[in-house]
Amino acid sequence: MTLPGTLDEAVAALAAMPTAVPVAGGTDLMAAVNSGLLRPAGLVGLGRISEIRGWQYQDGAALLGAGLTHARMGRPDFAALIPALAAAARTAGPPQIRNAGTLGGNIASAAPTGDALPVLAALEASLVIAGPGGGRREVPVGRMLAGLDMLRPGELIGYVRVPLLHAPQVFLKATGRTGPGRATASVAVVLDPARRSVRCAVGAVAPMPLRPFDTEHWVSSLIDWDGDRTLAPEALAAFGEYVAAACIPDPVPGHSAAPTGDGPGTLPPAVLHLRRTVATLARRALGRALA
Amino acid sequence: MSGMGGATGMGIGEGLGAATAVTVPPPVLTEPRTHGLGISLPSTDSYPKAQGTFPYAADLWAEGLLWAAVLRSPHPHARIVKIDTSAAAAMPGVRAVVTHEDVPGSAAHGRGIADRPVFASEIIRHHGEPIAAVAADHPDTARLAAAAIAVEYEVLEPVTDPEQAFAAEPLHPDGNLIRHIPLRFGDPEATGEVVVEGLYRIGRQDPAPIGAEAGLAVPRPDGGVEIYTASTDPHADRDQAAACFGLEPERVKVVVTGVPGSMGDREDAGIQLSLGLLALRTGHPVKLAATREESFLSHPHRHPTLLRYRHHADAEGKLVKVEAQILMDAGAYADSSSDALAAAVAFACGPYVVPHAFVEGWAVRTNNPPSGHVRGEGAMQVCAAYEGQMDKLAAKLGIDPAELRMRNVMATGDLLPTGQTVTCPAPVAELLRAVRDFPLPALPKDDPEEGWLLPGGPDGAGDPGAVRRGVGYGLGMVHMLGAEGADEVSTATVKVSGSVATVICAAVETGQGFTTLARQIVQEILGLEEVYVAPVDTDQPPSGPACHGRHTWVSGGAVERAARMVRTQLLQPLAAQFGMSTELLQITDGKITSYDGVLSTTVAEALDGKELWATAQCRPHPTEPLDDTGQGDAFVGMAFCAVRAVVDVDVELGSVRVVEMAVAQDVGRVLNPAQARARIEAGITQGVGAALTENLRTPGGQVRRPDLTGYALPTALDAPDIRIVKLVEERDVVAPFGAKAISAVPVVTSPAAIASAVRAATGRPVNRLPIRPQTAAVV
Repeated sequence: MTLPGTLDEAVAALAAMPTAVPVAGGTDLMAAVNSGLLRPAGLVGLGRISEIRGWQYQDGAALLGAGLTHARMGRPDFAALIPALAAAARTAGPPQIRNAGTLGGNIASAAPTGDALPVLAALEASLVIAGPGGGRREVPVGRMLAGLDMLRPGELIGYVRVPLLHAPQVFLKATGRTGPGRATASVAVVLDPARRSVRCAVGAVAPMPLRPFDTEHWVSSLIDWDGDRTLAPEALAAFGEYVAAACIPDPVPGHSAAPTGDGPGTLPPAVLHLRRTVATLARRALGRALA
Repeated sequence: MSGMGGATGMGIGEGLGAATAVTVPPPVLTEPRTHGLGISLPSTDSYPKAQGTFPYAADLWAEGLLWAAVLRSPHPHARIVKIDTSAAAAMPGVRAVVTHEDVPGSAAHGRGIADRPVFASEIIRHHGEPIAAVAADHPDTARLAAAAIAVEYEVLEPVTDPEQAFAAEPLHPDGNLIRHIPLRFGDPEATGEVVVEGLYRIGRQDPAPIGAEAGLAVPRPDGGVEIYTASTDPHADRDQAAACFGLEPERVKVVVTGVPGSMGDREDAGIQLSLGLLALRTGHPVKLAATREESFLSHPHRHPTLLRYRHHADAEGKLVKVEAQILMDAGAYADSSSDALAAAVAFACGPYVVPHAFVEGWAVRTNNPPSGHVRGEGAMQVCAAYEGQMDKLAAKLGIDPAELRMRNVMATGDLLPTGQTVTCPAPVAELLRAVRDFPLPALPKDDPEEGWLLPGGPDGAGDPGAVRRGVGYGLGMVHMLGAEGADEVSTATVKVSGSVATVICAAVETGQGFTTLARQIVQEILGLEEVYVAPVDTDQPPSGPACHGRHTWVSGGAVERAARMVRTQLLQPLAAQFGMSTELLQITDGKITSYDGVLSTTVAEALDGKELWATAQCRPHPTEPLDDTGQGDAFVGMAFCAVRAVVDVDVELGSVRVVEMAVAQDVGRVLNPAQARARIEAGITQGVGAALTENLRTPGGQVRRPDLTGYALPTALDAPDIRIVKLVEERDVVAPFGAKAISAVPVVTSPAAIASAVRAATGRPVNRLPIRPQTAAVV
């Protein structure tokens, strides 16, 4: 176990011991260690790297340190900056987990139910990755989560660049209980008035957050961006239905191994309910963003 | 309560005649009593548990201990072709590997029926069945060695649907039908003007205690072994262990330590057997702390049950006939399924007067994880079903659901469908009236000051516009103590020395509060504040399992008798000396005084350095097994409860939050108000879990997500406001102090009430527990 004080020292420590695993909050990693699934040869602790535990502003964007905890992101000052990410952070587990778990860890674990992920996808955030020799490269979060551009050996997620949109954002999550729980489905909706667009991402229904691009374009074109930015209830409902159908499509008979419902091309009741859940969340999220 | 002061306290004394009542001056109310019955004496465990200093079984330690790990089957049903332990045994640090070949005594164990192998030898019958155990000098070595045991399986098709179990090939030499009860009561031709039918499914609830199974076995120089573990029935566990080890019971000692809560049979007894075998084999202390996953795989769960009901009623809603079929999934081994089935069949109609009842009950063997005793087993499953039927009847007849129930409730003197007369207090109408007439909680919509915790939580997706509120009722009953001729007995010893009393009783404190109750009983009878309750081991006389409210009754009764015997021994010489009977003497705060004030001394002086000991037993009146038509006086006593649930349902998402549970319960007598309240709150909360989230899923016999993320227990945010509207203190004359069991009946009743409330909110049929979001969503 090493405890570097800067990002570059951490990268160097990883380079010196390639089998070591970086650990920040440890909420996922240490559970795997304790259950015997993982036995890392060494650990590089990221908890002392103060430069990644806060945020700074850069060219109209916020550069969020990967070591920001969910608890920190859930506070009002952060919520004024990036409301949807704050909302996601507040729902990310019980207080013990929120105090330890970090933004970077949420991305690195890339669990389908990771609460920050649909928000980052909707915000079109990008990751600033620190590499050996002080190197930095930037990768869109969607490419990383889709596995199109992976972390290379010795690299660490240093920062997350999030555009500041100065407009309403909503994150909504459905769970199995009233207390903290993993998402059965989650939806992030952000308004980007400068680009006159609505962006939406759906979490927990697929291995990575899903973006319904066609629906985003359609609904963006309906909104009067210079006026009162409201939509009729029918349009909101249609938005929800389209988002849900895009993320949980009907099975194509003969082309899918997925279980089906009563007839060909129908969904089983539990999946139908999940689709209705996504539709409801998307409708409510856009409604609240435009309210 | 306090206004009655000491006079009430003495009121329980036998033979305290009118003379005492007249001559004792009215008590001077200087300060409230701090000990004795009726006082909210805090449990000695509460603070250590809350502060994290309570030593749980997983914290046990012995010098030079070895660590054990158990190899468990990944398949629900398979034939073992070959077990090769050579690679595991050859690993450095491994001290012993044991399989079925190394069990010197009985190869099988089990509660009631010994049908469960210690280690599987030929056939695997459920996912997680133990095959071998390893002891090594490091827990990781043990775990790796267990994984290195090569087992060749011939995978067989599992029988996971209990309906298929009848026709399936026998899964066990004992066959697939564990018990069948065809209850016949009344006239099979009777019919009602209104008939409603329903099919209900109850899921697999896990007791999920705070701590997983753990223990330490220490070999003894005489060739025996001591097992330190969180057993809730130490003598039964000792006898089973001794039989499997091929030792006399006297050479096996079970020491109970660090019980982290219990909802029934908290322990997988197989772990104690593995530990003992390894300790005997290695000659070293051996420790095992099960993972949560192992715990979920191996310990008994609530019986998943399929229930088909047909209720007949007349036009006024009076029940005429109930026909029911109850199919309980016992899992791979019998365990206490026979008892659970008896409770399900006997209480199939609930606390209602039913002139004609025909109930077929089956408990069958499958390749699912084992089912066993979990609080309110049998009674909970049928409660959800018969209350569903009462809602259907109310809807069909257009009668208010509470009113329909009121027209049918039973009272003392009515018959159960088993032909047993309910002789104990059965204030069901009073309970129902209490919850029905309790004011409903205000709608937050009408009260903007009030924060509204919507379904889905404080930062959830709930929308006030989509939330509908529903109110539902549940009436439930359980039996107390073991049924059907079980020899229910407990033995306790009370010692007084100086001004300190000691209780020795093998009743296990599982968090139910027995230790506190034993202290209070002795305080009450001997007038000594300082009472010490000794730790439990099997060198003490047996007290039986901690379930069915047994210990309040039989062990509390034994402690009471022993304390009274000590009291007589203490007071007899003094009374003789002063020429009066012992009834004219009283002990308070360690001082013995006579009614006329002539005698005034202290307990310590009266003892004069002597110790007084007394041992007593409590054995309630016998019961009889249900006969081949399900008839018989099978139960010692019964307890009742009424619950009114208020739920909020987000009808688009199908998310449910229980807002308030109003409870009225038949408790006989409150012995400790704070603990009584805590037991009811715990029971209701466990019922909320059973109603909404707790279901261990086992597709194809494979336990899915055996962890506390996948298995969602209620959190503080899920626990509703619990209003204890009324505790009916109608004393049960046959029970010690007149007190009834408290813990189980709220668990039985609350899921039914919540299902009823969700029906009311959504208008949807709710026939399955836990209630799934797609059921509660209105499309």
